[in-house]
Amino acid sequence: MELLTILLLLAAILQTRVSNLRLAINIVLVQSVIVAMACVIIGIQTHEVHMFIAALLTSAIKVGIIPFALYRLLPYLHEEREIVGREIVKANFSTFMTLLSIILSYGLISPNLPGVAVASTLPAAVSLTLIGLFFIMMRRQAVMQIIGLITMENGLYLFGLSITQGLPLIIEMGIFLDVLVAVVVLVILTYRLKLSLESTDTSLLKKLKG
Amino acid sequence: MYELILLALILPIVTGALSLLQTRPAALRTVNLLGSTAVTGVLFTMIYRITQENVYSTEFFYVDHLSAVMLFVVALLTFTATLFSLPYMEKEVKDGSISELMLSRYYALFNLFSFAMISVLIVGNLGLMWVAVEGTTLASALLVAFYFNRDALEAAWKYVMICTVGICLALFGTMILYYAQATAGGAGYALNWLALRGIAAQLDPAVVKIAFIFILIGYGTKAGLAPMHTWLPDAHSQAPSPISGLLSGALLSCALYVLVRNVIIVQAVIGAEYPQYLLLGVGGLSVLIAIPFVLAQHDVKRLLAYSSVEHMGIITLGLGVGTPLAIYAALLHIVNHAVAKSALFYMAGTITQEYKTKNIRQIRGVISVMPLVATMFIVSILAITGSPPFNIFISEFMIIMSLFANQQGVLGGMTLLLLAAIFAGMMRYSLKMGFGIAPAGMGRVEVAAPAMTAMGVSAAILIAGGIYLPPLANSVLLQAAKIVLGG
Repeated sequence: MELLTILLLLAAILQTRVSNLRLAINIVLVQSVIVAMACVIIGIQTHEVHMFIAALLTSAIKVGIIPFALYRLLPYLHEEREIVGREIVKANFSTFMTLLSIILSYGLISPNLPGVAVASTLPAAVSLTLIGLFFIMMRRQAVMQIIGLITMENGLYLFGLSITQGLPLIIEMGIFLDVLVAVVVLVILTYRLKLSLESTDTSLLKKLKG
Repeated sequence: MYELILLALILPIVTGALSLLQTRPAALRTVNLLGSTAVTGVLFTMIYRITQENVYSTEFFYVDHLSAVMLFVVALLTFTATLFSLPYMEKEVKDGSISELMLSRYYALFNLFSFAMISVLIVGNLGLMWVAVEGTTLASALLVAFYFNRDALEAAWKYVMICTVGICLALFGTMILYYAQATAGGAGYALNWLALRGIAAQLDPAVVKIAFIFILIGYGTKAGLAPMHTWLPDAHSQAPSPISGLLSGALLSCALYVLVRNVIIVQAVIGAEYPQYLLLGVGGLSVLIAIPFVLAQHDVKRLLAYSSVEHMGIITLGLGVGTPLAIYAALLHIVNHAVAKSALFYMAGTITQEYKTKNIRQIRGVISVMPLVATMFIVSILAITGSPPFNIFISEFMIIMSLFANQQGVLGGMTLLLLAAIFAGMMRYSLKMGFGIAPAGMGRVEVAAPAMTAMGVSAAILIAGGIYLPPLANSVLLQAAKIVLGG
């Protein structure tokens, strides 16, 4: 479990240095695989069938359909990449914020909270959520913001998993459905953005004001 | 009751699926008119049954008087919006704004959106409520982006991004609330609203306090409360006008409803003071932040959108005062605002469709082009700015009165001043639009009967609601206020 947590945070830190869209999707895919594996491990430890179903759903949706939809989008977005080189300071700042949120999460969350299911992953989950939030704020590419959203959702999911062994299955299935539809809607919007703006740089979206 | 709930969920789905299969406008019109009438009929029957039976509760569903108030809003608004959509969207096809094929997609998404809003109101589990609220965002996102032009895409992107991130924070809060419930030994009825209220006394106050912050930010984003309101003017101004009406009247109310359900639990755990101060702060800020945008605005639909931010703020102020009168007034204000604002968006839609612009400066002399619409528009603007004798005056007056009666005189005085400024701003623009000389080449225009009915019904409720409140409605509101107070 500890190894998985370290890998997860490592992937998140790596993510802040990436400007290539395909590589970014690969990393978020790895991240989702780790979350699914965490589900299986908790399932083995607690003998709850619920956990295995959750692992299955995570693999199907976050490892399967969502990356597939994002990969399908890529050919339409040739030449699109996150501009990091030009603003290297910003990338460094992004990495710094990521490290800061990890330190804060581990520093502020007491490992001895009563009744927590898996105390060791709790800070990692909170920092992953924060990292996703920062990622959305720092990045301009539409696909990168989608990836930030998935990261945030992974963090939230892991949070639920570690604090109460996940929500009841019916609610979790609803959440999975929402995540899936959200990504599909965002992929449609990204595709349309490319068609009408010839770019998926969301910093161009600042016409509506006042 | 169970059959009614299932019907209310299935009918919109069936109507939406049928719409997808149709391509002829006439068939689409019939299907949607019938479907929407049926849904509204079912919802009204449900409300009537609630007044008889008080509560209906199963493992997943829960309806009481509080849900009934909101169900009324959704029932009325989906009906008037459908009625208004029929001629409006066909004219969009005729004007070449959308292709005929997109019409069936519009109705399918419209019905999906109604489905999501109805499910928010009838599920009895805070987790499922979250799922349904996120569902409303996703169903309406493609409606906001419906024209797929640059501005609509920008609005939709911001809408989905801001609301999804906001709602993720609400999920975070909900998970923390579940943690509080699980440690108190109530894990068997996970996040069930009734169960949570039942064991409120055993929940850990510190944990619930943290949870409430996230829940307030999350659902506050969806309800368009400042400073998380930035998506609202964009989405409201870019969506097709019937959808703008639904977003502003019904969707914001649904988000507030979920927030209120959470507040009831939180109040029972940590007392009323903490949530009330937060609500007063957010509410006051929302009224304040709308001012500059209402006073200097160039887009008529954005003007109405900022007025929605203001009214959500007023409702939140009412909830924040927390006395029986204030809660009653806040609930009444939700209904009043929904009726008035949806009507205004329909009228603004009719006007902008004829003038082919949303720019206030280019809209002049509506009174000579569409006399009846112009009259209703100015009357509704008078109503939304809180002038007597219309319905909004009553609820706004009660909210501000209760502010003064509960040591919030400064906040009350500030709100009154701000409301006067908003009155001035909105009157200035609407009178300029209504009167003056119409641009050359604009003759008299006939407005289609269904659209006229939709606007007329809403305007009639606006006027009648200021003079007379049916005893049945009054008793539902009283009961609902009692539920919010924890009774």
